[in-house]
Amino acid sequence: MIEDIMELFKYKEMLKNLVRKDLRTRYKGSFLGFLWTFINPLLMLLVYSIVFPYLLRIQEKNYAMFLFVALIPWMFFSTSLQNGVNSIVWNNGLIKKIYFPRLILPIATATSGLMNCIYSMIVVIISLMIMDVSIKWYVIFLPLLLFIQYLLVLGFCIIFSCINVYFRDLEHILGIVLQAWYFLTPVLYRVDVLPKNLQFALKLNPMSALIISYRDVLYDGKFPNVMSLVYVFIFSIFLLIFSILIFNKLKIRFAEEI
Amino acid sequence: MVAIEVDRITKNFRIYQDKPTTFKEKILNIKTNSYHDICVLDNVSLKINKGETVGIIGQNGSGKSTLLKLLAKIIYPDKGHIKINGRVASLLELGAGFHPDFTGRENIYTNASILGLNKQEIEQRINDIIKFSELENFIDTAVRTYSSGMYMRLAFSIAINVDAEILLIDEILAVGDASFQKKCYEKMYELKKKGVTIIFVSHDVGAVRKICDKGIWIDNGIIKSIGNVETVINNYLECISKKDEVNNSKNKVIKKYTKNIEEDNNMNIKISKYLNNASTRWGNKKVEIVDVKIINESNEIVNTVTTCRPVVIEIDYKINSNINNCVFGIAIKRIDGFYCYGTNTFIDNIDINNLSREGKIKFSIKSVDLLENTYLIDVAAHSIFEEIYDYRCDIYKINVIDPQIRKEQGLIKLHHDWIF
Repeated sequence: MIEDIMELFKYKEMLKNLVRKDLRTRYKGSFLGFLWTFINPLLMLLVYSIVFPYLLRIQEKNYAMFLFVALIPWMFFSTSLQNGVNSIVWNNGLIKKIYFPRLILPIATATSGLMNCIYSMIVVIISLMIMDVSIKWYVIFLPLLLFIQYLLVLGFCIIFSCINVYFRDLEHILGIVLQAWYFLTPVLYRVDVLPKNLQFALKLNPMSALIISYRDVLYDGKFPNVMSLVYVFIFSIFLLIFSILIFNKLKIRFAEEI
Repeated sequence: MVAIEVDRITKNFRIYQDKPTTFKEKILNIKTNSYHDICVLDNVSLKINKGETVGIIGQNGSGKSTLLKLLAKIIYPDKGHIKINGRVASLLELGAGFHPDFTGRENIYTNASILGLNKQEIEQRINDIIKFSELENFIDTAVRTYSSGMYMRLAFSIAINVDAEILLIDEILAVGDASFQKKCYEKMYELKKKGVTIIFVSHDVGAVRKICDKGIWIDNGIIKSIGNVETVINNYLECISKKDEVNNSKNKVIKKYTKNIEEDNNMNIKISKYLNNASTRWGNKKVEIVDVKIINESNEIVNTVTTCRPVVIEIDYKINSNINNCVFGIAIKRIDGFYCYGTNTFIDNIDINNLSREGKIKFSIKSVDLLENTYLIDVAAHSIFEEIYDYRCDIYKINVIDPQIRKEQGLIKLHHDWIF
């Protein structure tokens, strides 16, 4: 595994190019091009800020922002996983013809998801200021949260990408699972609306700890729960190691099975 | 120093009857999920020293590309080990990761990074790459506007400029126009001189001959021959022509069997196995040409002869009714129909008077001065007044081969000297 990581380091230029290519071609052919990276979250914010205050009676003062700070990291999670599961299969041309550390592909997907999330976070912070949600110094935790979430996303991308080569249904199953997962993560609501025993179950979900922390840091302006972050961090590290081990087992027949 | 050491590797490919890939199919077909393994490489070992240029030849499906993929670490062996010393660049695919909307320059960065270069290394080489590709004027336009030749040129330029110690190449030299191809070969020579180990897979024997010192011939997953490139190529070609012969005679047996009823009563099993099925025949059969054989110096019946060696064309005939006179003739045509040579006993002023009712005539050629190609032979029997008894057109197909590496051009061999 150490060797693998050393080798990955040698191929960092490839990773950089893959991520750049992905970011640049995501909105390929559209008139606004790369600007969509920023416009997309803004439009989403617009929709939420119109829909929720008028259609639903929600007590939250600024529900649009309440939702927005959680939705952006959630979208980082779900889009990365959905792209990550296909990262090997979609690049079959490369896999069949060229040697490079296969791990680069899921890593590139997770990384371009992260980059996209960082760009969206700029929009989030600007809109927080405009929408009059005072930003406290706890914002400095944001990079840490992004980092931990990146590790988590990485682990999932790696493990799903290699299993999907042998079991193509995973892609479709994941779509449904992510939808359920979305509702099991406090993106739309606060945890305390749930009964106590369910609250505990929710805490086992690594994404819920992350979403709560994002909201603490950006919206509520308070210190994130360190214990739950440590839990997510350890979870992510174990997932990552486990996923690399699985990946190394499965990568041997990639070129033949694709 | 050993650059590549392959130690008893075996590779099987799994052939699924009907590969179930979805959950539903996996469940429904849990018992019928059948596959069988085919062995593509069987216990192959070889050693390649640093600086050698090795050509791997073999027919389609012989396992040569699989071997190359194993060396490139794209696939892994089921058994055995491969040890590689040095940086490998595999040119199995040109233009990997090219994006049509990016400019040539941007694609150089992407492609070179996939081949394992870092930014600094790419920047060092980028001018060489652009220069080699001859695309200076187009390098900052999107690749989608390139012609396919330009695309390949750019891709090849990147690959060849990676500066690997071991270069794996899979028949990709057929890119670009003639002058670019020449440049590619020159670049390969240059790399060869620099001491780069080159492994080159092809079924184009000529290309292998041009570049390689050492040859490996793989057939059905086994190394049939390894060593000096000439010896290996000759072994390979010999085997191929033998295979063709076997195939031809197999066809003949089947053809003959089905045609037996309508065929003339005299077509018996004795006839030479090399007779051409596609031959046509006309004439009144007063004299019949029963069989034709071509016999080489060592008294074997063959369909392959070496240029400038003697052969004998032996004609079996049979006289069915009374005739006053008879002329036997022979014509040789190149496979494309070009008439090379023709003569008969009348032209050669030979009177045939007392022919026995059945017998053989031999047409002995002292030296087959034809250049390497495939030729068709007509044999005919007719009267002096052109009454055709039996005309067997294209009855024999013969390959003339030239063992020399550098081939003369044209149709015939002129025995010559250069005098200074």
